[in-house]
Amino acid sequence: MSEFLSARAVSKTYRLGRVDVPVLREASISLRKGEWVAILGASGSGKSTLLHLLGGLDRPDRESRSAIVYEDRALSDMSARELDRYRAHNVGFIFQFYHLLPELNVIENVLVASMVARGRLGYRLRRRALRERASDLLGAMGLSHRLSHRPAELSGGERQRVAIARALMNEPDVLLADEPTGNLDHKTGQSILDGIAQLRRQRDQTILMVTHDPAVAARAGRVVHLRDGRVVEGRDERSRGAAGE
Amino acid sequence: MRHPPDERRGTTVPTVYQALLTRRYLTRRIMPLLSALAVALSTAMVLTTWSVMGGFLQVLLDSGRTFVGDVKIYWPSRGFPDYEDLLARLRADEDHVAAATPVIETFGFVSYPNDRVDGMLVYGIEPESYDAVTGYFGTLHWGPEGSPAPKDSNRADLRLAPLSALANALLHIGDMSPAALARALRMTWDDVLANGKSLSRLDYETGERRPAATLGIEASGLNIRQPGWYDVLPPQRTRPDGGVETIDQFLPLNGKITLNVLPIDEKGRAVETISRILPIANEFRTGNYEFDKRMLVVPLSLLQQMLHMDEAERRVSPGESPFEIEVDPETGEERFVRPEVELEPARVTTVLVRAARGVSAQTLRDRCEAIYREFADAHLDRAPPRPQIATWEELHKDFIGAVKKEIALVLVLFSFISVTAVFLVLAIFWSIVNEKTKDIGILRSLGAGRRGILWLWLRYGLCIGVIGSIVGGALSFLIVRNINPIHEWLGSALGITIWDPRVYYFSEIPNKVEPGAAAMVLLGGIVAATVGALIPALRAARLDPVRALRFE
Ligand SMILES: Nc1ncnc2c1ncn2[C@@H]1O[C@H](COP(=O)(O)OP(=O)(O)OP(=O)(O)O)[C@@H](O)[C@H]1O
Ligand SMILES: [Mg+2]
Repeated sequence: MSEFLSARAVSKTYRLGRVDVPVLREASISLRKGEWVAILGASGSGKSTLLHLLGGLDRPDRESRSAIVYEDRALSDMSARELDRYRAHNVGFIFQFYHLLPELNVIENVLVASMVARGRLGYRLRRRALRERASDLLGAMGLSHRLSHRPAELSGGERQRVAIARALMNEPDVLLADEPTGNLDHKTGQSILDGIAQLRRQRDQTILMVTHDPAVAARAGRVVHLRDGRVVEGRDERSRGAAGE
Repeated sequence: MRHPPDERRGTTVPTVYQALLTRRYLTRRIMPLLSALAVALSTAMVLTTWSVMGGFLQVLLDSGRTFVGDVKIYWPSRGFPDYEDLLARLRADEDHVAAATPVIETFGFVSYPNDRVDGMLVYGIEPESYDAVTGYFGTLHWGPEGSPAPKDSNRADLRLAPLSALANALLHIGDMSPAALARALRMTWDDVLANGKSLSRLDYETGERRPAATLGIEASGLNIRQPGWYDVLPPQRTRPDGGVETIDQFLPLNGKITLNVLPIDEKGRAVETISRILPIANEFRTGNYEFDKRMLVVPLSLLQQMLHMDEAERRVSPGESPFEIEVDPETGEERFVRPEVELEPARVTTVLVRAARGVSAQTLRDRCEAIYREFADAHLDRAPPRPQIATWEELHKDFIGAVKKEIALVLVLFSFISVTAVFLVLAIFWSIVNEKTKDIGILRSLGAGRRGILWLWLRYGLCIGVIGSIVGGALSFLIVRNINPIHEWLGSALGITIWDPRVYYFSEIPNKVEPGAAAMVLLGGIVAATVGALIPALRAARLDPVRALRFE
């Protein structure tokens, strides 16, 4: 399958006072359609940073060679508005701390993704269908009975499932998951990963997952390591291959 | 990129998440309610002040009409003759003039039954035409009254009971002949009202009508103002032996005053004092404290007589001495010089004019000047060339101007104070945006653009402005509508009297909210809240999404 999201030699340097702190140094990674890739790295190695760059939430350092390319288009060529659209329609984020909007209830937290992505008219015209889709997604996550609860009333695992439903709401091409199980106990984490695996199987969903836990990374089809700001292909993990799950 | 066609425009056209979040933020947080409260209080403060002070100005301007009409043509002291011709010319201009009336304005001393003596403004009027100009009949206080004032639960208002009951209690057989007593006891409130309208009262002894005066209701000090009616005190007088006696008197029934005026001769000298004992016909209440305290009206013809301004034969050239001697050319005999006698026309000092519907006081004033010029041309020898012709506002321009400036000053000050509301909203919004930083990061990660975030917060500010303004407007409406009870309560509970009718002219605080003023103030509140939200909104829009997401 063709590669359709890739980072080529991207660097990211944070400036702390007068000191430059390089986090990513010409890191490269590429994703093929339908692939589940895990990025494994120590805390502070720049995993989240890389994910934010790929998701168009942040921009890499300006270097001539570096590029993030989505379907043959460099994100750096996109206007701010196009980047907004890219985030709205082409990628879906899942975060370690769920990041739900506390004032909205469960179904609104899912629907808000399509509210942001669509114009007022576009949303209003399809409101019923969108609501149905949101509640279907939540139903698939086992949350049908909690639609009008607020995030504060849910357990961590339930919140993460809401966040996954939200990430899937606009049918993104790539799911970008930043330690989706990092804040959950083992059992709950496993069930979340089961859900993600099922997604990959059923929808051929492309998934890029970031974790510091090799056991979690092992669920992915391919594992790469992030060390010293560079992406290094995994060794033993490689043998399991893309069709491992 | 792969998009359904309309989704391409997703983040550029208006989106709905802002509305949802504004609603949720509004209903689930205390902070925005606080900023709405700040807006509400400022709005209420400015609108209340504006309404009361603007109302005060309006009442002040309107009150001119109740005694002066719209335009006053005035030549003091000696007045002008041939005023009937001037009136006819004015009344002929029906496009501009609704009514015109002759008046004598003078200064007099009035002694009251309780031995008080006060300097008063005396108007000699023709009641019918004076009413047409000023609405005088409507100001007469004593007359039939069907239902009690809302506050008058004890039916303390004298007018609610038949006048005969009062007459029975006041009048003693010993003082009056049986015929007089019978006449006095037959008096009704309708009669009292009619007396006020005709400026006359029955002389109970003779059965004839006599000219009478109508006093301002505050003039005698015998009427105690209550919310909606007047209590009446019987007058008390010091006896020669030093004791105090109470007189059984109710002014419009059997009261009398003594009016003293000074006729002025053509050289401006006051040669004598003319006194008249006058029965009281009624009392008027204009709501303008200055008028109600310091004015009385009497029939024009009476005042003309008293001031020697009536039509009469008068010596025109009295000569140096009344005993001057001349020689009769026919007989050759010496004789006293005969004074030359001429028929002098009646005079008035003032003509008051009311504008026709839709004609402004200024326009009418200009018309009056033109008409007066024609009149003066026709009466070259006798008409004063340049009387004062002015509107009520012009006559009191110093005072009214001061009031206007004061209103402007207070409004400017209060608007400045209201700017604190802007800063309050700014501060509160700043902290809300801070608190909601993570939400902003989340929304950006879902594809929300900077403009969308900007609009989210501006819209939020707008909502708070709208809510605050409406609440403030309603609050102000309640305060202004009930300002008199509130003021009364302040007076009775805390001993604070802010509105002293002696200072402010009017016995009641104006209690109307101008829709125009309300609209402007409410709009101001909305704009203030939006401006206050603008800077935090800009900050929210400029937040780096990654930093926002990492924000703890
Ligand atoms: N805004 C910033 N300014 C300065 N340094 C930053 C900033 N954001 C991240 N960093 C630094 O960049 C490095 C990488 O951060 P990042 O969050 O990408 O690591 P991570 O691999 O996701 O770690 P973790 O597993 O703990 O989430 C860290 O050392 C962090 O301190
Ligand atoms: Mg991280």
